[in-house]
Amino acid sequence: MDDLLADFVAETREMLEASEGEIIAWEANPADGSRIDAIFRFVHTVKGNCGFFDFPRLASLSHAAEDALADVRAGRREPDAALVSAALAVIDRIVELVDAIETDGTCPEGDDADLIAALGEGAPVPDLTIEDDVPKGLEESETAQRPGHTSAAPAPANPTAQRTIRLPVDLLDRVMSGVSDMVLARNDLAHRLRQAGNQPTIDGPFERLTSILSDVRDAITRMRMQRIETLFGALPRLVRDLSAELGKQVLIDLEGGDVELDREMIEMIRDPVTHIIRNAIDHGVETPHERLAKGKRETAFLSIAARQSGNTISIVVSDDGRGIEEERIAAKAISTGLITPAERAEMDREKILQLIFEPGFSTAETVSNVSGRGVGLDVVRENLEKVGGSIKVSSTTGVGTLFTLQIPLTLSIIAGLTVEVGPQRFAIPQSYVEEIIHASAKSLDYTQIGETALVTFRGQRVPCLVLADVLDLPPDAGDGADRSMVMLRLASGDLFALAVDAIHSHGDIVVKPLAPAVMKSRLYAGSTLLDDGQPVLLLDVTNIASIYNLMSDARTRVLADALEEDTRRADIVQRAMLFTDFEDRRRAVRLELVQRIETTPADAIDRSSTSPRAVIDGVILPLIGLPDGPLPADKIRLLRLSDGATELLLAVREIDDAVALSDDLKPVTDDPLIEAVTLVGGSTVSLIDGHQVFSRYAETPNQVARPKCRLPKGEWADTILSPLVASAGYDVVPHNEADSEAALSIWFEDEYESASALDLPIAEPLIRLRDHPDGARGSESIYRYDREGLLEALRQARAGTIANAAKATRSGPDAEGEAA
Amino acid sequence: MNDLLVMAQIAGRRCALHAHDVKSVIELGAITPVPRSPSFIAGITALRSQALTVIDCRLALGFSDVKWATDHRAAVVAVGGHSYALMVDAIEDIAIGRSSPESVPGGFGPEWTRLATGMIETAIGPALMIDLEALIAGPEAGTHSAGGLQSASA
Repeated sequence: MDDLLADFVAETREMLEASEGEIIAWEANPADGSRIDAIFRFVHTVKGNCGFFDFPRLASLSHAAEDALADVRAGRREPDAALVSAALAVIDRIVELVDAIETDGTCPEGDDADLIAALGEGAPVPDLTIEDDVPKGLEESETAQRPGHTSAAPAPANPTAQRTIRLPVDLLDRVMSGVSDMVLARNDLAHRLRQAGNQPTIDGPFERLTSILSDVRDAITRMRMQRIETLFGALPRLVRDLSAELGKQVLIDLEGGDVELDREMIEMIRDPVTHIIRNAIDHGVETPHERLAKGKRETAFLSIAARQSGNTISIVVSDDGRGIEEERIAAKAISTGLITPAERAEMDREKILQLIFEPGFSTAETVSNVSGRGVGLDVVRENLEKVGGSIKVSSTTGVGTLFTLQIPLTLSIIAGLTVEVGPQRFAIPQSYVEEIIHASAKSLDYTQIGETALVTFRGQRVPCLVLADVLDLPPDAGDGADRSMVMLRLASGDLFALAVDAIHSHGDIVVKPLAPAVMKSRLYAGSTLLDDGQPVLLLDVTNIASIYNLMSDARTRVLADALEEDTRRADIVQRAMLFTDFEDRRRAVRLELVQRIETTPADAIDRSSTSPRAVIDGVILPLIGLPDGPLPADKIRLLRLSDGATELLLAVREIDDAVALSDDLKPVTDDPLIEAVTLVGGSTVSLIDGHQVFSRYAETPNQVARPKCRLPKGEWADTILSPLVASAGYDVVPHNEADSEAALSIWFEDEYESASALDLPIAEPLIRLRDHPDGARGSESIYRYDREGLLEALRQARAGTIANAAKATRSGPDAEGEAA
Repeated sequence: MNDLLVMAQIAGRRCALHAHDVKSVIELGAITPVPRSPSFIAGITALRSQALTVIDCRLALGFSDVKWATDHRAAVVAVGGHSYALMVDAIEDIAIGRSSPESVPGGFGPEWTRLATGMIETAIGPALMIDLEALIAGPEAGTHSAGGLQSASA
């Protein structure tokens, strides 16, 4: 069966049980009007609920009963035995129908005209046998509807559906506190077992007990807690059905469905929230036509948002409908005798609006099928106050109405952080914690401005409260130094730091209410028990912040958000990989440079030349950062750095973490390979200068399109000249290969001379080599061992200025010595 | 009349609590102090999985220092849905009340008048009947009323 339907059946039964006593009392004394209220609410709720299930038979029955009872309540009709019998017959019929709905999910067909007629004024006392007739009639219709269904036991409607049962909450409470006690007993036992030393025969079963217990505890915890989503889930359909019925267009927006609260609390607020939504759609929202006429969008917007703040949950239901007219409320209140005109004159708008929660108040001019009987908002308030909650309404005429429900978290489980100040521990709700910083006061730039302490967090100065001062505990030895900072973000978006002596653990905590005298200090939201059974206080972060005026107004909040956006962007740039090098120094390299982390065996590292290399993925890459002595391990961790075109490897002893460089970078000049030093986690880290490292150690990448260079014939050219040409960035083309694409040719001087003598085509551009250091005057050739000159010529040839290069080389004295 | 009473010494005087108000008498374990709370709140302590607020009855009366011995046991009472452990000089006995609480001419003195409903005769002699709500509201609550509780439940 549909969950909603199951809820409907269960709710109807529950209400009936609750009003049974009233029904009997009313039956005994029909003149007793005070008994009617409960019965009236019962039929009213049935009517409201079956409205969105499409059970017309139920709806018409309950509507008829409601009408009759409303007349009695309004004093238009005197209750008599006939009315009582008729009303009770209707209730019985409703029960029968609900039973039928439970078994097969649909409402059986049938006619209730007789019962409805009996409710009418002046109707004869209904035949006493009528109650016997009802089940018979029902049976007939049921059998007619389901011909195949005979005496066989009904098969489960949906065997895969999760089976649920309803339990009294205090039973659940007893189980829960029993399990909590068991956990404490287990902890005590664990302590004693540790003292007694290792006892293998006991330790095994004890471990099992521990794991079973933690499973049970999880399950129990989940039993009580539920996301408010379970309540929200039914709302879109309710809104859709209601707005369709009333010819209105409403868009619903739900927010905060992940707020968790006590299952019982969800049940308690289910009706109030449903009622308010009904009310909003029926009374608040205008028809599309009216809306257009007022210049509003055709579709109204209904928003329902849940927020947990401190030890309360607030649910805000707002619509953009016509709002509440103060004058109409006041006039109505005066006419029903709720207030006198004199009292009216004394009341402000705020107070008048709250009158809608008074019993017997209703402003609807026409009675609709949905709401508007005066039952509703008074019941809503009553139900909320029963659980220690409250409701408020605010409204702007023509703009909309906003209902705020406050519900206490008498028992809830939240994620909490345990902190220590002096000898005592306190808990902080995790939802407020933005970040935890273990840092010295220096690194956070802790300063005192007047009586206010400030720290710098991500480039922003934020106020800092010392928890020991807030709680008036004896101050720690240090003056804020070596404290841990908990950065807390309030629901308003404001950030502040709370300095504590130490941070312990975090985990789920069960919040228990505190005595009123303790709550008066406004510093605590509740208490909780640690695993060892020691009670700790839960800090009320929002209140503490407001005591110290740390909450800004909305405007500055926007500015702060923008500022933060900026710093966040900056953070993206400022991330680095933290590592320890072989000299045990903490270093960091900008994260953008790190392409991969490689691990290579020591024998893949070639240290024979002055610049070590390593083979990674079949590519030889330059390697820096190795220790001077022998390699300390068989395997070396390497950071593969890339500037986009070239790669090099950086050997490290240990890779720590990727961190944000939130602190200032202080430039360093004495070590060219270090760009700056900064603080990470309170200690200094040197940041590798990527530019320097690449300019010094990176090799020219193997470009795909290297220019080609044709070499002269001969062994000398192949073995001695070609590596030099290749290292200068050319692809070497053997002399015999006909490739006119060569960007450069190298000829021997004699080759050039014979070619020019024979008028053969001369390659362009061309480098001419001569055999002797001292060339003929005016010659543009280069001595073949003039390494510098040759490389310069090759380089310039790539730049397309071969001629000039040759001239420059020739004019300078040849430096054979350097060629070696 | 004929009520069962828990007899206790508070600030050197014999006092009586209704036995049906006293849920249990516990050994006081470790007490976690509550910083910045009124001084008569000694702290919170754990009773199984429950947190109890520990009230020092002598300070709750309005005496500024405790010059009396303190019992290691405490009486657990529930007021307004919250449980409290009452720290007293000594928990003495259970007795049967032989009269209704009566006032005496001249009163009991300013501290006592605020939270005593009257004098009650018992088998072990006369005692002051304590008004729990007034006791828990603390000395600042002033007059004999439940004002503190109302504001707290709001």
